[in-house]
Amino acid sequence: MNGLVGLARLVRFVLRRDRVRLTLWVSALVATIGLSAFSMLNVYPDQRSIDAYARLFGDNPALTAFAGPGYGFDHPNIGVVLVNEVQLWGAIAMALMSIFLVNRHTRAEEDSERAELVRSNPVGRHAPGAASILVLALMNVMIGVALALVFTAVGYPVAGSWSLAGSMAMVGLVFVGITAVAAQVMSTGRGTLVLANGVLVVAFILRALGDMADNWLVWASPIGVAQRVRAFADERWWPLALCAAVAGALVVVSFVVADRRDLGAGLLAPRHGSTTAGRWLVHPVGFVARQQRGSIAAWVIGLFVTGAVFGSIAHDIDVYIEANPDFADIFTMVSGADLTSSFFAAAAAMLGLVAGGYAVNAALGPYHEERAGRAESLLASPLGRTRWAAAHVAVTLAGATLTVAAGGLGVGITYAVSVGDSGEVARQLGIALVALPAVLVFVGLTVLVHGVWPRGAMAAWAPYTVTAIIVFFGELLQLPEWTRHLSPFEYLPSVPAEPFDPVPLLVELAVAAALTTAGWWALRRRDIVAT
Amino acid sequence: MGTAIRCSGLSKTFGASTALDGLDLEVATGEIHGFLGPNGSGKTVTMRILLGLLRHDRGDVQVLGHDPWVDAVSLHRRLAYVPGDTNLWPNLTGGEIIDVLAALRGGIDPVRTQHLVQRFELDLGKKARNYSKGNRQKVALVAALASDAELLVLDEPTSGLDPVMEAIFREHALEARAEGRTVLLSSHILGEVEQLCDRVTIIRRGRTVQSGSLAEMRHLTRTTVTAETERPAHGVTTMEGVHDAHVDGDRIGFEVDDDRLGSAIAALVDLGLCSLTCHPPTLEELFLRHYGDQLSEGNTVEQP
Repeated sequence: MNGLVGLARLVRFVLRRDRVRLTLWVSALVATIGLSAFSMLNVYPDQRSIDAYARLFGDNPALTAFAGPGYGFDHPNIGVVLVNEVQLWGAIAMALMSIFLVNRHTRAEEDSERAELVRSNPVGRHAPGAASILVLALMNVMIGVALALVFTAVGYPVAGSWSLAGSMAMVGLVFVGITAVAAQVMSTGRGTLVLANGVLVVAFILRALGDMADNWLVWASPIGVAQRVRAFADERWWPLALCAAVAGALVVVSFVVADRRDLGAGLLAPRHGSTTAGRWLVHPVGFVARQQRGSIAAWVIGLFVTGAVFGSIAHDIDVYIEANPDFADIFTMVSGADLTSSFFAAAAAMLGLVAGGYAVNAALGPYHEERAGRAESLLASPLGRTRWAAAHVAVTLAGATLTVAAGGLGVGITYAVSVGDSGEVARQLGIALVALPAVLVFVGLTVLVHGVWPRGAMAAWAPYTVTAIIVFFGELLQLPEWTRHLSPFEYLPSVPAEPFDPVPLLVELAVAAALTTAGWWALRRRDIVAT
Repeated sequence: MGTAIRCSGLSKTFGASTALDGLDLEVATGEIHGFLGPNGSGKTVTMRILLGLLRHDRGDVQVLGHDPWVDAVSLHRRLAYVPGDTNLWPNLTGGEIIDVLAALRGGIDPVRTQHLVQRFELDLGKKARNYSKGNRQKVALVAALASDAELLVLDEPTSGLDPVMEAIFREHALEARAEGRTVLLSSHILGEVEQLCDRVTIIRRGRTVQSGSLAEMRHLTRTTVTAETERPAHGVTTMEGVHDAHVDGDRIGFEVDDDRLGSAIAALVDLGLCSLTCHPPTLEELFLRHYGDQLSEGNTVEQP
């Protein structure tokens, strides 16, 4: 066991280095999932509401894709509702924790050349990897145990609680193993993240397809296997053992590969790129677009999928609302409008709000470039500050339009299919785009904050977060009525529940333009921040 | 000969900390000017002011006859900059970054770029995230040297380069001067400055402490002497103009003011001079003289 010399000390080292990070992951996951479990009891207080929930999910393949196989929906209990709500997303969150933290302590550590500092000491070849694997395995198990205790404490049956918590922890463990292998295959920390997250996406898609078609594909996905535990619906435990075995095998594979490669190298050499820049890349806008294209693609896909889920529910809302009026409480009703229209208006605002997250993040591009010391290379060239900032805003504008449109298209396409009216695609696209001016107000605010307060530009997230809390939780937290007026979405017409009125849109566009211009004015007058 | 850069009484504060405190700097057109100072003395801040990235609080600054804050963009067409800590876009290759920077300044000579890439042995197809520090530095150097900028502002350009690459850099810096370009080179590698620079400015704590050609500075300073004599040379240690003398048997080492060199050597001859080494002060010694009190402060802390 020479390869593991120093393991105990390195485990303590990982725990010490990441004591804050690990505590945050564990407490955030336990708190979020635990609170969902608790609130589920209030949202579905009686058998009637549980039956309605099961009917809604049992019949809808789109919802099956984003939840799970729905074991126990024939004779539903509150436990199977909980499984349907938290199992998939909890498992994904634990997988993400495993991916980020295992990579952080293995491959990313080698990139930074800190690994050499550790390995040059009397430390076994496998000890650093094994330490991170052990710590993350421990985290997954701890979260699993804590969740099982929380579930039982708030009143869920014991066997179901442990099997549900165990299924999520097991997915986390499998991804500990997957990341350990990816860290050996790839030659950079970033490559490892891409590969491991790619496996997670594939695992999600395989089980979604498998669940919708009810076929073998679910067995090709660790998430699918973990869901076969049938929590709260006649549990069977062996899928958990299968996951544990796979996780163990992956760890062994990672050690075998580690024996065959050099420190700092990977099985796959880094790809070579182009040695010259294309015509598009040398333009400031093309340059920023190149930096943002991955992020834009991810947000466009995310918004499209979210919209598609909304669109697929929309048709069922018509049908199920008659059986269960409680569903109407899920979103704000617009007085005098029919239910479907209110739902579409609420969906468009939510999609707009999510797109606002993209917009703030993208508009912070100049901030990140400045902080990373990359801006000065460009600003020491004949590129003026305003043109540099404007290139970022132009790409952000295009990206925001694309993400909002993708959300609208998602709603439109699934709704058009369910009602058999292709005209819905264009109509829902138009409804979604009404929210765009509010998204651009966040862009303007971000540009202004960055112009005025270069070191504190992350504060631009504050108005966005406040708006998100008001829009999503305003009713739940019983916030006073005036808080709604803090949200730029509030002033826009709730199309299609209200008639379209262009004036508020034009006013918000003007506000966004004024904020942006003020931000640029401030940027031209201040120092460029050094790292 | 004109003046490429002229700063006088330049001041800059960041909140409570003073970065520049009345700095003077004058760089003649067509020279390689060394800009020396310890870490944190204000070299980078000065360069960023010269580029118009920072705004100075007091004093005057002119770059190629213009105020860099007001005319940043038009000035940037005429100068090229290599930052001290080269941060590149991790997802772009070195070749792409050189092209982007070139395009921003309106294009560079592809033949010259190709030549520089070969000389610096730079792999253009690698993504910046896979570059070592030295290779990131080479990307910035190639982009700057391949441009036709009349002024090159180089902030510790050889940090991270190996000695062979340093030599190649020196060649190209001299070539730039031969073409009539002006180079402002900050460094704390004294050998490099001695080999390259026509004139140097030494700064410390945001102030210029000395400026001039190396010859001028040496004139103001001392010569280092080591000698062997037949009879112990204790008498020499107390002579006027002799400093830091130490006698070890028949060997003596000291520094002497240049105007007293003759009388010191004459005294050594009288004592039966057997061997003699004299050399002008290295920049290292000039440098240590200016920051010597820091060193002795450090010593007193270490040896209370």
